Amino acid sequence: MKKEEIKLKLNVVGKNIIRVDGLSKVTGRAVYPQDIYMDNMLYGKTLRSDKPHANIKVDISEGEKVEGVVKILTAKDVPGHNYHGVLFKDHEVLCETRVRRIGDPIAFIVAETEEAAEEAMDKINVEYEELDGVFDPIEAMKKGAPKVHEDGNIVYHYKIRKGNVEDAFKECDVIAETEYKTHMVEHAFLQPEAGIAYVDDDGMIIVVASTQYPHFDQLEVAEAMGIPTEKVRIINPAVGGAFGGREDITLQIHLAMAAKATGRPVKCTYSREESFVAHCKRHPMVMKCKTGADKNGKLLAMEAEIVGDTGAYASWAINVLRKAGVHITGPYEIPNVKVDSYAVYTNNPFAGAMRGFGATQVPIAHEQQMDILAEKLDMDPMTIRMKNMFKLGSETATGQILEESVPLDRCIQEVEKVMNFTQGKKGGERE
Amino acid sequence: MKEINLTVNGKKHRIKIDENMRLIDLLREKLNLLGTKEGCGEGECGACSIIMDGEVVTSCLVMAFQAESADIITIEGLEKEDGTLHPIQQAFLDEGATQCGFCTPGMILSAKALLDKNPRPTRVEIKEGISGNLCRCTGYNKIVDAIEKAAILLEKGGN
Amino acid sequence: MKIKEVIKAKDLNEALLSLDKYRDKSKLIAGGTDIVIDLKHKKVLPEVLIDISDVEELSQIKIEESYVEIGAAVTFTKIEKSKKLDNRLKGLKEASRLVGSPQIRNLGTIGGNICNVSPAADTVPPLLALDSIAVVMSVEGKREVPLQELFLDKGKIDLKENELLHSIKFSKLQKNQALGFSKLGLRKALAISRIATSVCIEIDEDNRCKEIRIGSGALGKYGLREKSTEDFIRDKILDENFIEESARFLKSEIEKRLEGRSSKEFKSEAVMGTFKKAIREAIQLIKA
Repeated sequence: MKKEEIKLKLNVVGKNIIRVDGLSKVTGRAVYPQDIYMDNMLYGKTLRSDKPHANIKVDISEGEKVEGVVKILTAKDVPGHNYHGVLFKDHEVLCETRVRRIGDPIAFIVAETEEAAEEAMDKINVEYEELDGVFDPIEAMKKGAPKVHEDGNIVYHYKIRKGNVEDAFKECDVIAETEYKTHMVEHAFLQPEAGIAYVDDDGMIIVVASTQYPHFDQLEVAEAMGIPTEKVRIINPAVGGAFGGREDITLQIHLAMAAKATGRPVKCTYSREESFVAHCKRHPMVMKCKTGADKNGKLLAMEAEIVGDTGAYASWAINVLRKAGVHITGPYEIPNVKVDSYAVYTNNPFAGAMRGFGATQVPIAHEQQMDILAEKLDMDPMTIRMKNMFKLGSETATGQILEESVPLDRCIQEVEKVMNFTQGKKGGERE
Repeated sequence: MKEINLTVNGKKHRIKIDENMRLIDLLREKLNLLGTKEGCGEGECGACSIIMDGEVVTSCLVMAFQAESADIITIEGLEKEDGTLHPIQQAFLDEGATQCGFCTPGMILSAKALLDKNPRPTRVEIKEGISGNLCRCTGYNKIVDAIEKAAILLEKGGN
Repeated sequence: MKIKEVIKAKDLNEALLSLDKYRDKSKLIAGGTDIVIDLKHKKVLPEVLIDISDVEELSQIKIEESYVEIGAAVTFTKIEKSKKLDNRLKGLKEASRLVGSPQIRNLGTIGGNICNVSPAADTVPPLLALDSIAVVMSVEGKREVPLQELFLDKGKIDLKENELLHSIKFSKLQKNQALGFSKLGLRKALAISRIATSVCIEIDEDNRCKEIRIGSGALGKYGLREKSTEDFIRDKILDENFIEESARFLKSEIEKRLEGRSSKEFKSEAVMGTFKKAIREAIQLIKA
């Protein structure tokens, strides 16, 4: 079929389509979990660690005396496995003897009102025996650093070896060697986590929560509850933004446990502050880069070490640090590449998925490397990029041949039309 | 408990409120107007924006008892009874100015408060008008487009 | 929150009587933009809330023969949009316009801005530069006190348990006087001031500075006057060179004040920019 013919047959592609949920959203009728109110409903609140690394002893007796409190759940109330996690099961549903970060959940209070739950939260006694923590991923990699989990702090090491960088650097006329650091970033999706759970007439546990992975949630809830997955249903209502921050479990298992334990619907809505504490962050990264080029600006070698701070839990650290490793060369052909990318545990807030998934941090490094090289060569920043960029047929550092659609040159030329980088470099007027 | 009188979306109410209640709690829990969203509880995000006596305010920063005798418009008050959308809602829908939707009701009410006072705002004025409303999906351009379009629709004689 | 009684005062008398009755058990609320958050976080635990936002007498801007009086419950929006306040007071209008967001400006009041004694309160530097007088009232009567003297410490205002801030008064500006303002925030909206500077000047035909008052925000525990810089500038001709020189003088003053603070380097440099903007604006307003 010719392009025009295909176009005629398409109902959606190339057309301006009104979103299916658009009407419910512009009228305010879209239902997010916080908008669900059920008869006979209870409210849940999470007691969280305020220490980054400590052994704990929990005494809930004073909290249980608060009027209106129906149930206080702790680690011993988890019916199945007291763990969850997207790759490694390194989170506890409720921490039993140890907390590894500020914000680790310790108890889940279920009460007739939010006020009663809050009051009970203040009365639960958590005895902390503080442990040495580690807050710098570079320190955490060293021998003798406090261990966040039993198997050591290095979660993952990803390597790329292509050509021979040592020999290639000897051929380079210019070398840029720089260390870059990026910080933690919060998703701040506009709808804070909320959910409601209940047990239906057939004994099925229903969890209504805004989530990115209802099918993963089902598995995690079932494992923690010690029941088959077909006894758990996850309902995903309107999701008020996620950006990766709703990939890990937050309140789903707590709610399921509470509904099962009380036989009543239980609702939980995080405040903005709790939302910040509860879910993952973007991985802060330390990126040491050495990039070399010949006198014509042709890249010959790159060596990079990336250390990603995944905080107290692995979440998607492996995928994120692999992606960072793959993308650290930027969209440039480099014949000799050596990359070592690590994911490291610390007692910081845990890091996971966030928009770009490891590909967002690295341009800060590889693009500044290009600018530094351009400056050393007295070349404008556009020309050095045009000389080295991926095009059709290029081979990436991981050996992938780019076989179709690599229109980066066109993109840069369009940008140049507006920005006049080359003119600017020569001292001309920028738009 | 205290009893207050107020008008919401043209309807008069006499309601018993708890002294500790905020206006957003009154709207959501007493009047079941769930289109008003709570995103931060500190007046930073604007998701709970409503129009009170003609001015856009964050309902998380108003105590319920302060709304005595107030005239309030929430997102539920914009549609006509026959279900016809308000021109601003229609423009948001047509321009794809809604993504996750959590900011949308507040954004639309800020737009309404702006257009009620300034029927043909510039893009800069529109941006100022919605500067108290965060969109984290970052669809700001489409939102500004929608408000521009709504101004035209309103001028042509919407409601 | 455990509030037992709420009072929506209909007039000043009711507000004053309620305040006198409940004293430290009560808190005043007007715009609510700060106190509602404090209530949520249990930072304040009043049993009684007294709403003064609808008290007519506190919600007016009055232009008298020799002075301007702004009620404590006047909102930022009302100041920003007020036609009564002429353009020579642009610095005050601008400070009001740059508070928070439209929603916050529609609620928040100038009295709240003053009484919270935040170092970054936006309208305080222009009010200080205007040499404002605070009018304080209780059932016992009225007292007037220079605004600066109300500030005891960060978050602490010199009001008795049964007193409220009634209004702010300042002399009307003459033809050769004007008020400028400049604020540095981290973004355009909803930004707390990192630095704010307001300058009120009087100049003669030769550009000689007859009088100057400089109000600073976020450069101390609360809003402050920069008196030594004022003395440095007074009676000098305000040409560009001298403005630059004055900015450097102010910089050295701020360096001294912020000694040992991590913000010293940034703020002492940045204040030169806000100062120059504010004083140039004031000069322009006079010449316009």
